[in-house]
Amino acid sequence: MVRGHMAEVSKRFIIKARDFVRAGEGSIQVQGLLKSIGYGPELIRRISICAYEAEMNVVMHGGDGELLVMIEPERIVLEVSDDGPGIQDIELALQEGYSTATPEHREMGFGAGMGLPNIKKNADTLDIQSGNGEGTHLTIGFTLNPG
Amino acid sequence: MPEKMNDTKPVRYIQINESLCNGCVLCMKACPTKAIRVREGKARIEGVCIDCCECVRVCPRGAVQAITSGRLDPTDKDHIIVSPSTVLYSQFGDDVLPNDVLLGLKRMGFGYIHDQSYTSEIFNLAVELYIKENRDRSDAPLPFISPVCPVVVSLIAYRFQSLLNHIPPLVTPREIVAREGKLRMAARHGKNGEAFKVVHITPCPSKMICMKESILQEHSYLDAAVGINAIYEELKRNIQDVEDDIVLHHSGGIGLSWGMSGGEISGVDLNCLAVSGLQETIRYLEKIEMGLLSNIEYVEFRACTEGCLGGSFTVMDKYQAKRYLQKLIRMFGVERRVKYGYVKKLYEKGWFFTDKAVASTPEVTHLSSADIAKGIERLKRIEGILNLLPRKECGACGCPDCETFAEDVADGRTTLDQCVFWKDQERKWDMRP
Repeated sequence: MVRGHMAEVSKRFIIKARDFVRAGEGSIQVQGLLKSIGYGPELIRRISICAYEAEMNVVMHGGDGELLVMIEPERIVLEVSDDGPGIQDIELALQEGYSTATPEHREMGFGAGMGLPNIKKNADTLDIQSGNGEGTHLTIGFTLNPG
Repeated sequence: MPEKMNDTKPVRYIQINESLCNGCVLCMKACPTKAIRVREGKARIEGVCIDCCECVRVCPRGAVQAITSGRLDPTDKDHIIVSPSTVLYSQFGDDVLPNDVLLGLKRMGFGYIHDQSYTSEIFNLAVELYIKENRDRSDAPLPFISPVCPVVVSLIAYRFQSLLNHIPPLVTPREIVAREGKLRMAARHGKNGEAFKVVHITPCPSKMICMKESILQEHSYLDAAVGINAIYEELKRNIQDVEDDIVLHHSGGIGLSWGMSGGEISGVDLNCLAVSGLQETIRYLEKIEMGLLSNIEYVEFRACTEGCLGGSFTVMDKYQAKRYLQKLIRMFGVERRVKYGYVKKLYEKGWFFTDKAVASTPEVTHLSSADIAKGIERLKRIEGILNLLPRKECGACGCPDCETFAEDVADGRTTLDQCVFWKDQERKWDMRP
């Protein structure tokens, strides 16, 4: 965990349930933050994909929540939590194509069942804490290996 | 990106006339790359300029000007190939056909006039061939992004480097026309192709940057770019009563539609999307950078709203020009006039490929953790300064917004006392946001 003396910079973004208009703003901010520090484009791309997918999951399924980014020179952690209904079967949710999206979500182009699998694919570490009615807490980690 | 402030381009194609500038903040606020500052009462371009002309458009005093090659050089017309943008056809109103426009140029004394719209239709097929060949690769950078708008290419190179490999390494129609025009002239007259100069009649100044420092090509075949507005009056006089029956224009409606947003993709038989306007372009590039839109195969971005007919050198209002272009498209029809087999042969010969590997993988700068630590320290300083600011976003300090001001203070380019609200606070005034 990056918290404590090593968490050099952290920033928090509020995510509102069902606010599709502002959805993704937090991820864009995270992207800008990382660019201004000078991380490489490939790492930023992976982090933004994860931030966006996680943010959209909250907007679609979660209650209200937040996106917290913690930055230190060699490690970046995203913590995304919400007070929504939680994930019933995490194993299932990690399978590509498995989706609990509503027809309304699909009409907007979401809900292809790629959210969590996409995060898993792009992150270096992923921890999911969730249970029925307990909300969801994702910890998504990225390690920077300077060449 | 602090280091970017210093590696400015040697030549700028947007210039500010200080005697006309009154130091208002409009251009500075409009700039998408936050390149402008107001210092000592005058606007100055200090950062990376992508030639989008937003500043030119918003300046109420005409102080911000776009530079081109000037007027058409009338002295050596036998060695000049004139190649107008398709937008030119939309500028003269209802009774003027594309061929009349080209004949008008001929009547101005230019011997060699090359239409671009037909080549644009050929290019459409090359894009199709390229994407069909590459879309199923496991690492296919979807969606592919059109290389046509130079402002968008600059924007990607400056702000969205990870998307550089989404741009297919294909030569744009304006460059193909110039290259082939020179080759044809050389063959016909037994001279070196370089004896001929290709002048592009352009709706925007961004072609200047393509000629001098192209991101997509080692070498540009264009020699000069002249604004539509610079030749408009003379050309208009020459279009009247054109009676020649030479056919210089060959395209159908697809090639003609290139002047407007959605025109390029109208000739591409793939899953395509067209986006125009700088702010919308930035929003979509952000989305693509987050891995979205990968179900789309090709995106046509145009920095100007409504596409090239919204360029800053156009004469006719963009909506009127669009109306007229749509009329022409209906008149000429939208069936393909180009033979697939012919284009495929050219494609296989490498006819369409650029001479430069467009960062097939994005430039990966392996930053040491010391560099990153420095970046983080800088960010902390910026955050600290931001906390002192009222976030009124007024621009009175000479920076486009409070965040940029904080960055400039952190980098030593300005001082905190330039903030009028900060001064107020020193006088114990209320500065709560």
